[in-house]
Amino acid sequence: MAALHRPALAAPRLLRRPRTGKLMLVGAIALVIIAAGFQVNQFSRLTSTGYQINDLNKQRANREAANHALEAEVAQLSSLARVDWESRTRLHLEPAQQKLYLTVNHSVPDRQTLPTRFLPPEPALAGQAGDPLWKRLLKSLPFF
Amino acid sequence: MFGQRGRMNRRLWTLAAIFALGGAALTARIAYVQLMHADHYRAVANNEHFGQQEVRAARGAILDRNGYPLATTVDAFDVFINRADWQSLDDARKAAATIGPLIGQKPDDLVNEVRKENKGIYLAYAGLDFAKGSTVHNTDAPGLRMVQTTKRFYPEGDLASTLLGFVGRDHSGLTGVEHDFERELGGIPGTIYFERDSIGNKLSLGAERIGQEPKAGGDIKLTIDRYIQRLVEGELEMQIAKTGALGGSIIVMAPKTGALLAVASNPGFKLSQLDLNHPDQALFRDRAVTDVYEPGSVFKTLTASMAIDLGLVTPESTYDDTGAAYIGPSTIRNWDYSVNGITSVTQILQRSLNTGAVWMSGLIGPDAFYRYMRNFGIGEATHVGLGGEPDGLVRTNTDPAWTDVDLATNAFGQGIAATPLQVITAISSIANGGKLMRPYVVQEMETPEGARAFSPVVVRQVMSQQTAATVTDMMNQVVEGNPGHLAAIKGYHVAGKTGTTTGATLADGAVHDGNVASFIGFAPVADPKMIVLVKLDFKEDRLGGQVSAPVFADLAPSILAYLGVKPDGPQLVATGP
Repeated sequence: MAALHRPALAAPRLLRRPRTGKLMLVGAIALVIIAAGFQVNQFSRLTSTGYQINDLNKQRANREAANHALEAEVAQLSSLARVDWESRTRLHLEPAQQKLYLTVNHSVPDRQTLPTRFLPPEPALAGQAGDPLWKRLLKSLPFF
Repeated sequence: MFGQRGRMNRRLWTLAAIFALGGAALTARIAYVQLMHADHYRAVANNEHFGQQEVRAARGAILDRNGYPLATTVDAFDVFINRADWQSLDDARKAAATIGPLIGQKPDDLVNEVRKENKGIYLAYAGLDFAKGSTVHNTDAPGLRMVQTTKRFYPEGDLASTLLGFVGRDHSGLTGVEHDFERELGGIPGTIYFERDSIGNKLSLGAERIGQEPKAGGDIKLTIDRYIQRLVEGELEMQIAKTGALGGSIIVMAPKTGALLAVASNPGFKLSQLDLNHPDQALFRDRAVTDVYEPGSVFKTLTASMAIDLGLVTPESTYDDTGAAYIGPSTIRNWDYSVNGITSVTQILQRSLNTGAVWMSGLIGPDAFYRYMRNFGIGEATHVGLGGEPDGLVRTNTDPAWTDVDLATNAFGQGIAATPLQVITAISSIANGGKLMRPYVVQEMETPEGARAFSPVVVRQVMSQQTAATVTDMMNQVVEGNPGHLAAIKGYHVAGKTGTTTGATLADGAVHDGNVASFIGFAPVADPKMIVLVKLDFKEDRLGGQVSAPVFADLAPSILAYLGVKPDGPQLVATGP
């Protein structure tokens, strides 16, 4: 039954050809317009992202500079000259006239070196309890 | 017709051939320019359109042995004013009223300075703090040009100025550690390319790209301890003021490693008042490392070490001191013109007898004496890694002008020239079981190429461990066997020796009738943790035992307590729970 209908379908296809051509033309123009619009949008985004990156870089540089200035200030505040000045003027201490040595059964505490940017980097905290479940699962895989 | 068509064709062909040839020539030229020499022409075009600016890399920090920064780098601004924008007096006054107070200048003075000329750029402030600079930048005052830069910052003030050195306007090290470790500290500058106009000015909305990112310089951790350095510098300054000395040097070293804990020289310069045009450029050098002097009687310890190590004498061996030693036509007397009769080797050191040193040098002989001198490192640089270190001067028996008098005077430290660093390095071998260490001032480096740590280097075994122990005991007798010796300290057993040299080249660079008074000592005797050399220069005659030994006595207890060295005297120690 279906085979009988097949030849009859060929004629309408011929009749629709001009409309298809127009449609294709319109479609092509639309595609070109969309592509052009897409490209304009891309360029616009690229430009604005470029400016954002520049701006963020400037912000980062400013914060790094402010950080260096703060570290320098910390270093200056912990300098021996200031410690000496503070102890004499604010705390009214005087240099010891007599020294008494005591042996104490206690290990020497670790010295805090300042500023912190000169300290060795802290070890990376892998697989913390605070990580989401999927991250912890990924980290448990052998190839991660 | 045919003939005409034939001529026509020829003409056409000729024209076509001309065009073809022209086209081929143009194509060849295009290929030549755009393919074969593309790089050259691209570079020429880029040079025409783009300007290039060097971006300074952040200079690394210099830290003390505990990581406290002695010199570091902070960001800053250089403030410029474009003179052309201040030609209107009203505008200039308005701008100066905004900028002036922020850079610490009176607005009227600023206006006058800028308007002295019509064109060009005026540098209003170099190295303005970053926070203040940002505030100035935000004012957007007319004619204002801000250039971000960096400046050196010294958290400990003028501490270790001569050792650290300083940097020039281009931020490269000129003296001291800053100069000697320029490669590690300096980093690698980067480059920025920017679109420029016809006269080379940057286009405000032009393209900009980074050619090469600047690589920050590495940090250098010294062996210097800021606490000991401060202690030593303060003491040296106080003693110079108290005794009227022309200047001096103090070095503190860890004898078992060769690590320099403090190096102080005076006169010197202050980083906070740096004047590169100062007429006396000698102020910028680290005299403890660069300047030589006659070490004097401290050298008798080395002569005694040689004689004992060769088995020629023991501390109890004696000679008859008649008060004079005759070397050919020359007569050598004791410093105090004393006559001591039968005297032991220990007493030679205790009384610092020149005749005894001459007697020992006669036993040793010139070949062995100068061999030991070389082994002690006298006559060659210590290779500490600091610039300007000389070899020193020693005339040996292989030199044509050498005579027996040289051997005799060298035995008590005269007729030779050594730096304070060479002297302390040589004598620290006695405190270190006979091992000569190479002194060093850099402990670690953290550079972009990676971290590097420096370990102590044993140069050689100069004498046997037994000899070193024997000489240490004798040096202990110099201090504790002489009641009231000014180098003795409560709670610790000290070994030491004084030295006095007359007619020396002193700190002011001239040869004087005065002298160099020195003392070298180490403690605790049983297990030396520090060795200190004190050297003071005087115009008049002063003795090392009178002026330099007390400096050691002032410094040693504080340094030993700071280093956590338990006192030898049990009466001062209370045991905790």
